Amino acid sequence: MLALLFILFAGLAIGCGLAVVAQRNPLYSAISLIGVFISLACLYVMLAAPFIAAVQVIVYAGAIMVLVVFVIMLLNVEQEERGRARLKFLVPTAVALSAVLIAEVAFILVTVQEFRVNPSSAPSNVGLTHSIGAQLFTRYLLPFEITSILLLMAIVGAMTLARRGGLLSPNARIVPGAQVLPLSMVDPNAEPDDLRPVAANTSEEAARTLGITKRD
Amino acid sequence: MEPQLSWYLALSAILFTIGVTGVIIKRNVIAMFMCIELMLNAVNLTFVAFASFFQDVTGQLFVFIVMTVAAAEAAVGLGIIIAIFRNRESLDVDEASILKL
Repeated sequence: MLALLFILFAGLAIGCGLAVVAQRNPLYSAISLIGVFISLACLYVMLAAPFIAAVQVIVYAGAIMVLVVFVIMLLNVEQEERGRARLKFLVPTAVALSAVLIAEVAFILVTVQEFRVNPSSAPSNVGLTHSIGAQLFTRYLLPFEITSILLLMAIVGAMTLARRGGLLSPNARIVPGAQVLPLSMVDPNAEPDDLRPVAANTSEEAARTLGITKRD
Repeated sequence: MEPQLSWYLALSAILFTIGVTGVIIKRNVIAMFMCIELMLNAVNLTFVAFASFFQDVTGQLFVFIVMTVAAAEAAVGLGIIIAIFRNRESLDVDEASILKL
């Protein structure tokens, strides 16, 4: 029964994984990747790791893939064009390397002695949230803290990379007590509904900041 | 018949191989990014399989940390992808061969 479930979910994972590589539209690749994540979460449940399975669905299939799909739709990625590769030897190289790896796996499966697990009849608490939390905050506290520093760096890095040019133009300066005006109030040429904020004390200063010459 | 440890290891190796193949042959940087995620998941499967068969919680903790690193990588990587797309109007890695945004 468990073997049948394993074969089902493993087949699903391999099929979706192949679809990730085979699809030309990145959005279809992303959806196939979500299939891989879900089937791996089912395998984690079979391996008595319910917490990891839940985190897999929430973090991977939820957060990360939503981010990826969001970026795909934001950038409006076109489909990959066919046959424009500059490095033509890459595909045969990849196929050969993967054939070698699969052959290694088959060799190991055939020749190596099966690892015998003594079936423990008593239900263990490995994989439950309680044991994971207890270990995470006692024995593995240092990796936990290092990971939090890494997350902080990722936040700052992502904000620095994703912002457009800079928050202020090179001419702009922050004036204490400055007034925020919509652009349409300073620039007579601007559209009436242009509501980009301008920080300045006077209209002249705002116009100078924006590099606008008055029309008269 | 119970699933053996070697089954899980074989599945993990196959998924990892698919990921490596995708990174090599794909040219869209988002698709390469997703193949890297596939490789990370293959390694996670190995960790969880060993943790379950050895009755040791350490492997699952490492999976937890790998997931955190993957989330950080996703945030920074997608930021870089957006910056590249803004400057080049393309997601082809062959055209982004100069390490300058």
